[in-house]
Amino acid sequence: MAFTSMQFVMFLALAVAAYYLTPKRYRWVTLLVVNYVFYYFAGVKYFVYLFATTLSTYIATRKLGDMAAQNKAAYDAAKATLDKEGKKAWKAAFTKRKRRILIPTLLFNFGILAVLKYSAFVSENLNVLLEKISAPIQMPVFHFLLPLGISFYTFQTMGYLIDVYREKVAPERNIGKLALFISFFPSIVQGPIGRFQTLSEQLFRGNSFSYEQAKFGVQLMLWGAFKKLVIADRAGVMVDTVFGFPETYGGTYIAVAALVYCIQLYGDFSGGIDIATGAAQLFGIRLDKNFERPYLATSIPDFWRRWHISLGAWFRDYVFYPLSLSKFFMRVGKKGRQILGNYVGKLLPVLIPQFIIFFLIGVWHGAEWKYIAFGFYNGTLIVLGILFEQPLQNLAKKLHIQTECFSWHLFRILRTLVLVALGKIITRAPGFHVSLSMMHSMVTNWDMDALWTGGLLQLGLDIQDLWVLALASLVLLAVSIMQESGIRVRETLAKQNLYFRWIIYLSAVFSLILFGVYGLNYNAADFIYRGF
Amino acid sequence: MESLLKILAEIRPDVDFEDNKELVDSGELDSFDIVTLVGELCDAYDIEIGADDIVPENFNSVEAMMALVTRLQED
Repeated sequence: MAFTSMQFVMFLALAVAAYYLTPKRYRWVTLLVVNYVFYYFAGVKYFVYLFATTLSTYIATRKLGDMAAQNKAAYDAAKATLDKEGKKAWKAAFTKRKRRILIPTLLFNFGILAVLKYSAFVSENLNVLLEKISAPIQMPVFHFLLPLGISFYTFQTMGYLIDVYREKVAPERNIGKLALFISFFPSIVQGPIGRFQTLSEQLFRGNSFSYEQAKFGVQLMLWGAFKKLVIADRAGVMVDTVFGFPETYGGTYIAVAALVYCIQLYGDFSGGIDIATGAAQLFGIRLDKNFERPYLATSIPDFWRRWHISLGAWFRDYVFYPLSLSKFFMRVGKKGRQILGNYVGKLLPVLIPQFIIFFLIGVWHGAEWKYIAFGFYNGTLIVLGILFEQPLQNLAKKLHIQTECFSWHLFRILRTLVLVALGKIITRAPGFHVSLSMMHSMVTNWDMDALWTGGLLQLGLDIQDLWVLALASLVLLAVSIMQESGIRVRETLAKQNLYFRWIIYLSAVFSLILFGVYGLNYNAADFIYRGF
Repeated sequence: MESLLKILAEIRPDVDFEDNKELVDSGELDSFDIVTLVGELCDAYDIEIGADDIVPENFNSVEAMMALVTRLQED
């Protein structure tokens, strides 16, 4: 059930009505039923994976909770008799015992994800290798259909498991409530990846209806639908045309398509997140932020702090810190300082894990070489950015470049956008080799004149559609700049006169109806991140 | 406290550590700073700071960092 379908609108209306008609104490039960009905529409056979994750996490976290309670009692009793070394040894032994629960549960759940998502890729590449060495065997290749939201709910649930392991949250004792946390329907499709600490209370307490919250929720959903239907799906036509025929469209067309693809992907993904966040708000639930105007970022690390924030935060808390603070990387840092000097040595425990994370984020997007290349591309940019940050600042000082002015800020935004757009070519092109030849063509066949002499009209959109796309993108940019300046758009709108407010609301609804891109049966194109 | 302020000033001389009480929440310290800082704290105070201890509340202010160090020394 796509977020932009009429079916979803009706489902949501019924779900909200059912939620608030249920007595407060049981509202979480209604929400769980709603989640499962939503998931049922995606395919009943996928429940098996959802149940496997729910059940294995429930058992593991309950066990971890019991162990922590027993350990605390025993440690408190023995603490006085232990010296510093004794305390260390006690802690290490307990951590080891907890890991016997944690690691198999992580392996089981990420294993399901890995088999479903990556087994075909691994088998196909192994077969190529086996063929090259003329081995007489071939690996079987299984193409599985991915269960709805598996990447998102697996990460969210494993984050909760690790938090219980770290004793940051108490394990949920009610399996129904845990199931609700795992399957919350607005965020299961494409995130944001939530945290138990922030979501559990909101999900379980039974919220009261708030007109203000509901109004903001609907407004956010409309804004999300505008980004998806008016901007992203229209931009998608141009993008599909150029990337579908890379031999036909070279040079400047590729630069235009890469830029338009940046707009499409942002409209698509952040539009979907806005719809999810708005839908959650109708139940009085606030989801975590997933975007913060990424194209206004001034560097690649800044971009990744603003794009798909919940995934970046997940990797930071559960992979980056454990890796970079591990004894191994601490030793690497010390050794590095001796060999490579203080500056680079100090950075090593940050640089290597950072590179690994960007590789993993690349692979998270899908099982294809181009995503691996995308991971390497971003990892390399991040590492170079960190390594050269100080030397470049020194250089700017030496050259007397004013770095506190608007033009320098704008230059940094545009430079980041170009680097991001190059990365997007890698992921959008049909393959990694094609993306390289597209980039080559972009540099060698630059011809701006072709665009203005009718070239733009050959990309699948007529002149009216181009105008709609350009104006809608400008609206998006204006809103982004307002938000970046600290203006809260919905709150500001609420303070305006009734007539002005309704002109805005009606314009939004009519622009959706008139300018939204719809396919058969008025259904929009699928969300891109739903596929990840 | 003095020794901690000295360590912090070496890592980020541009930050006002004494008055800022939202060092992590306000984005003043990022994950790179935290990792560098943790390495220095472990060496200086002979403690072990694990990923479990990396929560904003432990690094939002000098006082919070000192409290973390004291707790880990006592544990």
